Amino acid sequence: MLDLLQSTSDGILFGATYALIGIGFTLVFGVMHKLNLSYAAASVGGAYCGLLVLKVFAGAPPLAVFFCAFLAGGLLGYVVYLACFHFIPISNPLATLMATVGMLLLIDEVIVHQTDGMPLNYPAMFDDVMLRAGEFTLRGDLLMVFVVSILCMAGLLALLYRTRLGLATRAVSQQTVAAQLCGIRVGQVNAMTFVVTGLLGGIAGAMIGASVGTLSPLLTTPLTVKGLIVTVIGGLGSIPGAIIAGLLVGGFESVLQQYRGVTERDLYVMLLLFVFLVFRPGGLFAPKGGRD
Amino acid sequence: MDFYFGLAQIIGVHTLIGLSAYIVLLTGQVSLAQAGFFAVGAYVAGMLTVLAGWAILPALAASSLLGALVAGAVGFPALRVKGLMLVIATLAFGEAVRLFFFNFDYQVAKGGVKLGPLGGEGFRQIRYFPENGWTTMDVMLFIWIFVVLVMAILWWFDRSRYGAVLRAVGEDELAAQSVGLNLTAVKVSAMTIGGAIAGLGGGIYAHYTTHIEHASFGILLATFALAYPILGGLGSVFGTVVAAIFVQGFLIEGLRFLGDWRNLLFGALIVLAMNVRPKGFLDAPTLQWIRRLFGGKSGAA
Amino acid sequence: MKKIAFAVALAFAATGTLAQEKTIKIAGFGAKSGVVRGFGINSEAAMLAAADQINKAGGVMLADGSKAKFAVEFLDDRCTAEEGISVIRRIAGTDAVVAVGPTCSNVAEPLFGILQKKVDDKGDSGLQMPVFTDVAIKVGLAKISEWAFRNVPNEITMYSSLFYWLKQKHPEMKTVFGGVEEDFAHSRATWYVVMKDRATANGYTIAGETKWLLADTNFATQVREMKKANADIVAISAHPFSTCGVLKEMQRQGVKPKLLVGLTSTSTLETMQGCAKQAEGMMIPTSFAPVTKEGKSASEATAKFKGAADLHSMAAWENMFILKQVMESEKISGKKDAASVQADRRKIRDGLAKLKVTKGLLGETKRTDDREADKPYLFVQAKGGNWTVLHNPL
Repeated sequence: MLDLLQSTSDGILFGATYALIGIGFTLVFGVMHKLNLSYAAASVGGAYCGLLVLKVFAGAPPLAVFFCAFLAGGLLGYVVYLACFHFIPISNPLATLMATVGMLLLIDEVIVHQTDGMPLNYPAMFDDVMLRAGEFTLRGDLLMVFVVSILCMAGLLALLYRTRLGLATRAVSQQTVAAQLCGIRVGQVNAMTFVVTGLLGGIAGAMIGASVGTLSPLLTTPLTVKGLIVTVIGGLGSIPGAIIAGLLVGGFESVLQQYRGVTERDLYVMLLLFVFLVFRPGGLFAPKGGRD
Repeated sequence: MDFYFGLAQIIGVHTLIGLSAYIVLLTGQVSLAQAGFFAVGAYVAGMLTVLAGWAILPALAASSLLGALVAGAVGFPALRVKGLMLVIATLAFGEAVRLFFFNFDYQVAKGGVKLGPLGGEGFRQIRYFPENGWTTMDVMLFIWIFVVLVMAILWWFDRSRYGAVLRAVGEDELAAQSVGLNLTAVKVSAMTIGGAIAGLGGGIYAHYTTHIEHASFGILLATFALAYPILGGLGSVFGTVVAAIFVQGFLIEGLRFLGDWRNLLFGALIVLAMNVRPKGFLDAPTLQWIRRLFGGKSGAA
Repeated sequence: MKKIAFAVALAFAATGTLAQEKTIKIAGFGAKSGVVRGFGINSEAAMLAAADQINKAGGVMLADGSKAKFAVEFLDDRCTAEEGISVIRRIAGTDAVVAVGPTCSNVAEPLFGILQKKVDDKGDSGLQMPVFTDVAIKVGLAKISEWAFRNVPNEITMYSSLFYWLKQKHPEMKTVFGGVEEDFAHSRATWYVVMKDRATANGYTIAGETKWLLADTNFATQVREMKKANADIVAISAHPFSTCGVLKEMQRQGVKPKLLVGLTSTSTLETMQGCAKQAEGMMIPTSFAPVTKEGKSASEATAKFKGAADLHSMAAWENMFILKQVMESEKISGKKDAASVQADRRKIRDGLAKLKVTKGLLGETKRTDDREADKPYLFVQAKGGNWTVLHNPL
């Protein structure tokens, strides 16, 4: 019984990292109705950029690295927007999809080239903190990641519902043409969406690097897949949905691994996705009905 | 010369997987599951020739059939999922197939050696071609006969009512329904045909690499399958061939002289291609130009 | 015009003053993309460094008594089966007489599969190109084809020796717990076929095993199993990324086995870059450390070509010298026409097959009947961010 509880809590806490990535995917989808497949790669890329701080100031505190990753993520987000979404006409979802694939491959290769594929140690905060209650343990650093995800969600919701940019973003996502007619510069709004998700992605990458302890190009593919699954389960476009789905997927995979082994674990995660698609295609928090 | 035949083999098989995604794309469904059907075809054909001693043609027929069956089974639940959600759902399905083979053990002792798929270690010694004395050129011709056949069938579809029906559903489902088209039949049939083509391609793949493992059928292959029709353009089957030649012939082999830069350029050129030609290499204006080029020769105005 | 050209050519041939440098082309190939990029870079550097040294000493002696210089070209196979096969076909289409590679075991298997299985089997249309592997280490691959040769350490011998030595040194330790990376051919095979088997054979009890995948990031469940088993020795058969992940989780959960054993491929710079602190004390058998004079100079030479010297790249270095020896003893012609090139390839293959011993950087290496190597080895241990020699059984 304790085992089950421990697995579940381990998994849920780790799922906070999936949640962070899911938020980025779901935001881009919610606003632009497009899939940005390079998002996880850009987040990891941002995390790598964070390490540049250590090259200049060898003893820099982890927060400095995280902050650098945050900024780098935003910059990468803007680059992805320019390369994949700015010039391609909106009516070409396939072209933007493929362009983001190209971007994913490019970012991966740049990372590999710069680091020669080697895993790099990543600074962490609270990684030696383990909260204990008898036999039961909770990882301190994952709790921090969880708190960071909640803060990010709160910040994002505040941005979307309390600022003019957020208002413009929501307008563009609901009715692009009408928004344009109201004088909203769609291009600028979309670019800002990417910058914001990029900033988020930078934090996500840094948090993932910190909780795993090492950064490697191996991280991008599984994160992309998990991020997409979390986005679908949570509901495309729903930020709270992404968080809950992230925790759910994290917990689920951990428990399944405990009982069915690591080779079958991911199979069950896929099955979870299918169950949702069959019984609740809109996800946990289905987006409000509107023009599809 | 051997190298060029080998490259032509690779281009042929990649064209097949591209075509399998192409026909599904025509109906407006973006499917990342083609790698999964490809994997099914590979393992089935491999097991039939290695473990059951079948000849290559019946084995490929079986792999194609099984690919079609699995795809058909996927086609129905796929109807419930629309748009970009389908991308993710099919991605997950493809991954599920890969994970199935990761866990799949079926070994038979033949002459003191155990043969057959062994989970994570893969399935080795699928040596039908070299054991039967097929040269690289023989295999290349064999592959391209199938490619030309499949292209001819798809091209003929395009000229017939079925092709128009497929594209109609892809363009606007509501309008298609309102003229009486059965969406279920169209979408599922397209998925099934795509599965058959992918199963065929997979069966061939298993034999020309002689060793298959779950990792070969991952997300990268699924993405490539989609990349070919998108890069090539959905206007015509030739687009997919052109894209396969572009990616495998030019980006992968042709740019080898650039050494390390080749890999960086790979992603960058795809991004560039999509920005410059969002509708693919052979988009509508280009196709018209080509038709005029050929039509002009025969004197048609 | 033709007559004049003919006369000129004759004149040159007669005087022999046309100092055209003869070259023998050796093609290297391996992974220069993805997480395994480091391997390709190091192998290429080692090959170039070795060729440089051989050329500076005069080069290779051909059948007609003249000398030729080694020309090395390295191709990237991106660790995928299709590209590996395409690369070897490309190499076979040039005048390269032998290929050194690949890096990845999952490329070696299909690649060896398209080679001719038995020489002189007219019914087998497989490729006839000798391949001399430096890195791909998964057990038992060379027997796939008579054109495939490997100069990789025999993990069965090394781990057997390691566990035996550990049993002698620490007789109070009785149990071994294994952690295995399931989805990569090499690491998986090494746990089940090598480590587990050899530990049992040397009197250890296997207290249990736990599994994970190459790209996994959460090892809480696995390490808890490890903790429960409380074995004396923990053996980890995984590559640097997941090894570091497990070690960090072990640190977090306070799991401190008395001894830690790792996978051959993990005894490299990567592990030190990723988790030097946590890997402290890990013991790994390896077929290279710069302990001999030749080893040290090979390391330095490779560093000049911007590569690191480890068991993988130094195998490539050794391969170059072995090939020089074989080429000279089999008297290859070095001529560039297709028939001669193919004849040279056959001679090299036969020469490699005949070898019973070769020179290695740690000492003499025996060659086995199934075209593998029985390399001398030693045990290294992670100490203070470096791999230091723990015990030299030689």
